[in-house]
Amino acid sequence: MNFKGYLRPDGTIGIRNKLLIIGVDECCEGIARSIAKNFDDAVVLTNWYTCMLGGNEETLNQLIAVGKNPNVAGVLVIAMGCGSIGPSDVAREIGETGKPVYTITCQKVGGTRKSVQLGTEYLNKLKEYVGGLESQEFPISRLIVGVKCGGSDTSSGIASNPSVGAAVDKLIDMGATCIGGELFELLGCQKVLEARASSPAVFERINQLIENERQRWSVEGTDVETMSIGNCVGGITTIEEKSLGALHKTGTKPIIDILQINKDFIDTPKDPGFYLSEVTMLCGGAGVNFASHGAHMILWTSGAAGFNNPIVPVIRVSGNKDLFNDDMDVDVTGIMDGSETIDSASDKIIDKVIDVANGIPTQIEGIGESTLTLYQKDQRLEKLLNLSCCSK
Amino acid sequence: MVATALENTKAGETAEIYLPDNTILGNVLALEYIPFGNKIAIYDIPKGTKVLKYGAEIGVSTEDIPKGSLVHVHNVKSQTVDIPPAIKEEIMRQIREKQERGA
Repeated sequence: MNFKGYLRPDGTIGIRNKLLIIGVDECCEGIARSIAKNFDDAVVLTNWYTCMLGGNEETLNQLIAVGKNPNVAGVLVIAMGCGSIGPSDVAREIGETGKPVYTITCQKVGGTRKSVQLGTEYLNKLKEYVGGLESQEFPISRLIVGVKCGGSDTSSGIASNPSVGAAVDKLIDMGATCIGGELFELLGCQKVLEARASSPAVFERINQLIENERQRWSVEGTDVETMSIGNCVGGITTIEEKSLGALHKTGTKPIIDILQINKDFIDTPKDPGFYLSEVTMLCGGAGVNFASHGAHMILWTSGAAGFNNPIVPVIRVSGNKDLFNDDMDVDVTGIMDGSETIDSASDKIIDKVIDVANGIPTQIEGIGESTLTLYQKDQRLEKLLNLSCCSK
Repeated sequence: MVATALENTKAGETAEIYLPDNTILGNVLALEYIPFGNKIAIYDIPKGTKVLKYGAEIGVSTEDIPKGSLVHVHNVKSQTVDIPPAIKEEIMRQIREKQERGA
């Protein structure tokens, strides 16, 4: 099975040609949007953690990693000029991939109007560059697919998660790479994960990072939601049960390793296979986390939430007949009444993966994407809880 | 040793149990109302047994659960982070309310 993609100078393959405008500080968001509005494929990623570096290193790492994502053809980095993070701090490493990168420091070029004018010229150059790119055929094994769920209901555990899991297994068998995350929702799954981990050292890392997440989200005295009454009325009895249902979407293949995201580094998968990662359970932040890991697209199991992000297209798989609408990409509701098997549903999902890889938009691509949420771990909480990442 | 109800099942009704490939494993007589999405015991589960679903442990039974009973927060507890008793009561209350409404 093949798809047509765009070979980037660094050897990665893009399934979209996005023009990424990075606002290094929130002050540049308006400039970025004024430029972006005239270009269909322009995407704005704004750092709203302010312009200071200390404490926000994980965000800086993500800005750079998203710029390096293969779906991004070219980049414009804009900073106001009075912050600690300059545009070259972001542009330099992105530029090492060989893709075209421009920078603007608003104060240096003379203000907002001049920045919008210059930025528009740069985007026109990027658009011309993209116009000259030709797609080539590549095997499906070159794809990196993220897996996430949102708003578990009864159909998630029975229909959408198992059918996506079966599709993930098939993708891995074809030599592709898949990435799961949402470590808080793997509590209670440790026995299953241990059996799948490719080595004891990998399982130790997985365990430590799950424990880190458990601590972040169970601070005594705070009322953090982990399971809603609705989940339970709908039939889920324990967090282990919810997690095990969610785990189904990750398939059954060995877990090569767990990809980390922190203030020091962001991992990308080097070999094909299945990976876990620190992709957050929060949907918006997860989209950007997946982009940071180099993912091409995301398989998303749900009842009916229409989530998408403008860099890594999201394929929505739903098994809930009552909530199904035209935001959904793959209908697996037949599993609930026995008119479809998990196996045939997984084939439908694979077909959709190839379509999206070939450039066919998802149901809501270009119509109403969610904004790009930059989520990072708070260094103050990490310190107070005494949490640390695993050494490479 | 549990199966998930794919439709509301009344007390006294017999349910067919399906495997993932849509072949039939067997039948179970529902001893009580089992709402859509909830679990029924397909074997007797003694108190203190690890409850298995999808072949993995989802919790421990807190009382003897006869075959055909509803398996949920009132007779199963988590082995990691359990639901507070007041919330468990509210969950069961909402389930009973749905049954009375004929949902």
